[in-house]
Amino acid sequence: MGKIHLPWKGSKIKEKGMKTLFFLSAISAIIVIFSIIFFLFRDAYPIFQKKGIVDFLIGMRWYPTGQPPLYGAFPLIVDTLLVTLGAMLIAIPLSIGSAIFISEIATPRIKAIIKPAIELLAGIPSVVFGFFGLIVLTTWLQITFDVPTGESWLAGSILLGVMAIPTITSVAEDAISAVPREYKEGSLAIGATRWQTISKIVVPSAMSGITAAIILGIGRAIGETMAVMMVCGNPTYGLIPNPITNVFAPIKTLTATLGIEMGEVATGSDHYSALFGLALILLIITLIVNILATIILGRLKERQRSGSKKQPIISFELGRKIKLSFYLFIGIIIVIILLMAVGIFPTVGILALIAVIYYAMKKISIKIKQKIAFSMISLTIIIVIIFLGIILAYIVTNGVGALSWEFIATGPSNLGRSGGIFPAIIGTLYLVAGAIAISLPLGVGAAIFLHEYTREGIVTKIIRAGADLLNGTPSIVFGLFGFAFFVLYLKFGFSLLAGQITLAFMILPTIIRTTEEALKSVPQSLREGSYALGATKWQTIRKVVLPPAAPGILTGAILGIGRAAGETAPILFTAVVFSDFIPSSVLQPVNALPYHLFTLATSIPGSKQNQAGTALVLLLLVIGIYLIAILLRNRFRKKMKW
Amino acid sequence: MLVISLAVIIILGTSLFSGCVQQQGQQGESIVLIGRDSTSGTREFFWTFVMGKANFSASLLEKNSNGAVQQTVSQTPGAIGYVGLGYVDSTVKALKINNITANVQNVLAGTYPISRDLYMFTKGNATGATKEFILYIQSTEGQAIVTQEGYVPLQNTSHYNTSGKTLSGTLTVSGSTTVLPITDKAATAFKVLYPDLTVTVTGGGSGAGISAVSQGTADIGMSSRDLQSSEQGKGLVKHVIAKDGIAIIVNPQNTYVTGLTLAQLKSIYLGEITNWKDLSK
Repeated sequence: MGKIHLPWKGSKIKEKGMKTLFFLSAISAIIVIFSIIFFLFRDAYPIFQKKGIVDFLIGMRWYPTGQPPLYGAFPLIVDTLLVTLGAMLIAIPLSIGSAIFISEIATPRIKAIIKPAIELLAGIPSVVFGFFGLIVLTTWLQITFDVPTGESWLAGSILLGVMAIPTITSVAEDAISAVPREYKEGSLAIGATRWQTISKIVVPSAMSGITAAIILGIGRAIGETMAVMMVCGNPTYGLIPNPITNVFAPIKTLTATLGIEMGEVATGSDHYSALFGLALILLIITLIVNILATIILGRLKERQRSGSKKQPIISFELGRKIKLSFYLFIGIIIVIILLMAVGIFPTVGILALIAVIYYAMKKISIKIKQKIAFSMISLTIIIVIIFLGIILAYIVTNGVGALSWEFIATGPSNLGRSGGIFPAIIGTLYLVAGAIAISLPLGVGAAIFLHEYTREGIVTKIIRAGADLLNGTPSIVFGLFGFAFFVLYLKFGFSLLAGQITLAFMILPTIIRTTEEALKSVPQSLREGSYALGATKWQTIRKVVLPPAAPGILTGAILGIGRAAGETAPILFTAVVFSDFIPSSVLQPVNALPYHLFTLATSIPGSKQNQAGTALVLLLLVIGIYLIAILLRNRFRKKMKW
Repeated sequence: MLVISLAVIIILGTSLFSGCVQQQGQQGESIVLIGRDSTSGTREFFWTFVMGKANFSASLLEKNSNGAVQQTVSQTPGAIGYVGLGYVDSTVKALKINNITANVQNVLAGTYPISRDLYMFTKGNATGATKEFILYIQSTEGQAIVTQEGYVPLQNTSHYNTSGKTLSGTLTVSGSTTVLPITDKAATAFKVLYPDLTVTVTGGGSGAGISAVSQGTADIGMSSRDLQSSEQGKGLVKHVIAKDGIAIIVNPQNTYVTGLTLAQLKSIYLGEITNWKDLSK
């Protein structure tokens, strides 16, 4: 790559120009992430200066309109971490079970159905999850557990858990599938059962990949806005549950606070600045999480490349000790939590029960163990499918009644209670078209520069890190940045253009990554052949590399479109308005499907049928887009056997 | 692996159980406080007028619109909330305050105690299409829309007179979600009078509307609250376009109360009264 220099055939200026162009698009990701940090910091600075950064972080009450106003982010931070923890307790077992099922247990036929199904789960927009949570989940929790309100930590964790499942499952499944065949064959050859092979060989070998998957899932959950905002209750000052294990306590996360308060805050006030302070905290938390994941995944790749001949960093004995003390630590924490939650006697009972189960497990034969393990794993996948089924079934059965030609083709009347959603559909199409028109050239250019023009080195590392960080940035942070930069600083106002650029930045990393994958799949020999015939670099890229990579790039673009169509938070403060207005210029605001649904579900009583109808249209649109991407990718994979 | 996952399941189970036990048997009896977010004009009014600027109870759950408050109250047996009069329907029960029923007549008569003005702000004195639109909303025709939407109309209005005026161009209105329904309908009717004029009405909230109008990105800012200190001195002119009563709503299943005094209401939102049973005695 980039190592072969042949006499230029075309004009040198053109070659240089193309290279510069690609370089510029490659650094765009870095420029964007730095401007996000800069603008958040710029607008957050007044509050840090006024109240002190420490007081801001450890203050126990969030009450910006009180007298005196209180800006304590601590409960919001704790609640954000708690809801993420709960989500992970739900998502980790389910997604790792699903990943093991898909890669090790499922027959090819079942795998061919289940894998896309879980990938489709990733396509359900978060506002649809929130809509389902608000109407169905919170009511169900309230009645089932006989609590005053279902809007709680638990509701948020369940939704976030389900939303994190596709992310964790797909990365973990890749990691498990990447375990060399010889490992498995070796294990089976010396007489281990399938379950022993999976639990003792395959999963431990894939552990770092699984860890990275979990960390990515955590990043996804921490940054999620719409669903959390709709189901967690949002106690006014931010409230740490009391006792801390009370999962029915309402909580208020960083993202929900931003989502709720940003819309009505007076620009330039202390409160405005404090909200940017929260966004900065949120961004820093997610950046740390994502950097961790990147480092772990990077190590994994290095190890795969250098083979496994290297001595392990820690010796077997030390590893054992670390593992033991880790288990001990977890055990102690569990006991403490139990003591706090249920008191001494039940705790002793539960511990005894665990001990009995543990010894019973030792006694039973490995065959039965395998059966138990496999049925538990199958159970996880069944639970995931049931979740998916319930959500889809609810939205389809309730929404299908609203669906008609009028609903699609006319504007809303009576504030969306009747009439259709035509302006919202058009608005979404406008937003998405603009976003892809901006991000596709940038992203493809960046990927071409990374893969075709440079050797792996410090430059590519920095650019990749920029793209990774951008990928991990919560969507609401994009929204705040868009508001501060495009709407206010560049004076675009609430406009189509501001929304399009904000969305474009959000999907840029997806496009860079998928394009790079596509370029990687084009064999080096093709390039060399082209050079040998005397073609220049740009000619080679244009005529030889890009055509076979096009389907892969298209898949990336479609995934980006799907993501942009379903997102609410980035356009919430930059572009959208709830009206039947169809813009005639890019400087006018628009309506969009996810925002229309959000407004109907949270602000317009008596619009039940149109809520479900809008949710269904949005779901069909986004899932349809994802389905095209998945089908295209599968076709492409089959065809591209070089 | 298996043992760890079992342990996790057991922990989850017990914390669910313990959460349940703590709250068992309180459904419909313990009060669930619902209110608006801290930047809402409605909340600021409620806080000033009912609470006397005393802090809300920490267990107040925030919703970001009137509709969300109404919806939550309608599906939560123990809930109480405050919304604009226009949002009261059969799914919730409006309480009498100081023994006065919450309705438009009582707000007009001045007997219903919790009411406020709704505003439109312009940068400097309104001129041209901006002026005509505000005049239209303040006219008898405009106030008919106000009544229709469940808000409280201004008194002594006169008919709007186009008297051969022609308006063209674009008029941008943005801001409070409380005022939005009125403006949205008024804009539709206004466009019939002046076919060459484009009127765009957008939400975003009182704060967003005020900042838009002071920066010149909107011609009119809708607001359900007066200007805050940080917004003053920007040359904004205030126009009262309607009144709004604030109804106190509970779930229809609530059999404990039919009315409250202002003092009781304050105690509830302060968190001093936390159980409906304490009120029915």
